[in-house]
Amino acid sequence: MSEEFEPIIVAFCCNWCSYAGADGAGVARLQMPTNFRIIRTMCSARVDPEFILRALSKGADGVIVLGCHPADCHYIGGNYRARRRIALLRLVLEQYGFDPKRLRLEWVSASEGEKFQTTLTTFVDTIKALGPTPLVKEGQ
Amino acid sequence: MGFLDMFKKKPKADKSAKNTADKAAAKAAPVKSAAKPAGAACASKTAATVEASKLPFSDLVVPGPLVSYKQGFGTPPNGKIKLAIYWAAACGGCDVSILDSNDGVLTVGDMADIVMWPIAADGKEKDIAAMNDGEITVSIISGAVRNTENEHMVKLLRKKSAIVVCYGTCACFGGSPALANLVGGGKDEILDYVYRKTPSTANFQADYHSDSAVVPQNKVDVADGELTLPVLYDTVKTLDQVIDVDYFVPGCPPLQESISYLLKAVADFVYGGVALPPKGTTVGVVTRTLCDQCSRRKEFRRITKIVEPHEIDVDPDLCLMDQGILCLGPATVGGCNAKCTSVGQPCRGCYGPTTAVQEQGASALTAIASLFPVIDDDPTCGEDEIIDIMSTIKDPLGYFYAYTMGKSLIKRSVTEKGGK
Repeated sequence: MSEEFEPIIVAFCCNWCSYAGADGAGVARLQMPTNFRIIRTMCSARVDPEFILRALSKGADGVIVLGCHPADCHYIGGNYRARRRIALLRLVLEQYGFDPKRLRLEWVSASEGEKFQTTLTTFVDTIKALGPTPLVKEGQ
Repeated sequence: MGFLDMFKKKPKADKSAKNTADKAAAKAAPVKSAAKPAGAACASKTAATVEASKLPFSDLVVPGPLVSYKQGFGTPPNGKIKLAIYWAAACGGCDVSILDSNDGVLTVGDMADIVMWPIAADGKEKDIAAMNDGEITVSIISGAVRNTENEHMVKLLRKKSAIVVCYGTCACFGGSPALANLVGGGKDEILDYVYRKTPSTANFQADYHSDSAVVPQNKVDVADGELTLPVLYDTVKTLDQVIDVDYFVPGCPPLQESISYLLKAVADFVYGGVALPPKGTTVGVVTRTLCDQCSRRKEFRRITKIVEPHEIDVDPDLCLMDQGILCLGPATVGGCNAKCTSVGQPCRGCYGPTTAVQEQGASALTAIASLFPVIDDDPTCGEDEIIDIMSTIKDPLGYFYAYTMGKSLIKRSVTEKGGK
């Protein structure tokens, strides 16, 4: 393949911190790769592991979940729950044979547009280094 | 009387006594009677249990007026129907569970000719192939689809049958056979392990066939022609991924009430012309999770350590999760009346996911990950510490997907090929 691999990344952003952080990054006109699609959820704990598995099963090369910093959750403990689930889900993905780096959890607050930019940029680089999703679509 | 004689004679005497009592009780009490002698409950199980059990939020809608089996069976008005029971990749437990419907299974002999039942009857593939399309009224198929023979037979039965019932967890969700999907090397790795590396095989022993391991081939030429064996698939499929299915009966094996309900629905249709349940009905499940049926007291405790049931004195009244035993109840659809948890064993999830989700494993993962308490230093602790906590769950993939790998979103193991 001569063209450079452009990964498809699904980013789940919590409504209260990370989505506002993404907004801030846009308003500040920070340069970012365009490989990610943002899905807004009310809380990072709203991201059911099934959502992540569905994204991967439909061909996403990586999934990133962004939530409020520890102790900043709008719902007090949602991000702690998300952290546990994603840690466990990474173990499950590793057992499937995925590189666990394809799933990442990061904390981005409403004021951290710059962190949003660097997080997404490094994640896109990570996935580019990993290559396309190992999942083989049925019939291929 | 010798021990063996006791073994032989006792059940027979019991059975005849019970049958007499049942018949007497059935004559005395109408089917719908609420106050029923204990003996009659068994006799009228097919008709009454489904109604009497009154599973909350049940999909078990009794179709139309009850046709009482007490009127005597005899040959159905339009002649006997044809029934086929087949196993694909299954252990045979489902076939045995069909017999669990006690005397309800006697209806089958009156109602139907069993044209195929590998475990009990003599029907052959060529007999089925010679039939007209749709000639078989009901085919009950258990087991996942794992090789070419399974696929050929289920497709053949689908073609020849009016109704196909997806019976048991392996057929519905892949079951244990579908865990083979997690072997990265697929069928080659499985065959290599089974025929060359297991210590119990002769191939493994150095002094026996040491230079040419005996591994079954799919084809071999002999004097009389070519002999073939079915070809194993890399990915185990569920029944409805291969053929169109009319009804689902989950369970490992399905509960006796489920098969009784199924038999009753068919008998009502055959004898009384009562309409069958709508296509796609899942028999024997409720819309809530197993926890809703479990009688254990829930204190919603947080756990710090995972234990196996044999490692602790299981409190008979307290929720198993509260005691640190991983139970798939919160992720599993109810319907089994919490048989396992009532005897102190955790639910392993054989009834599959609830209707609201596709992924039973993801639901279980969510529920179990949330069990671990938020610790005091949670705001400051690092990701490694969280991974350490989560690593106390051994083999999460195998545990959460023990029965539903075939219906999971990822379906099989993958291999990273690396970047550019």
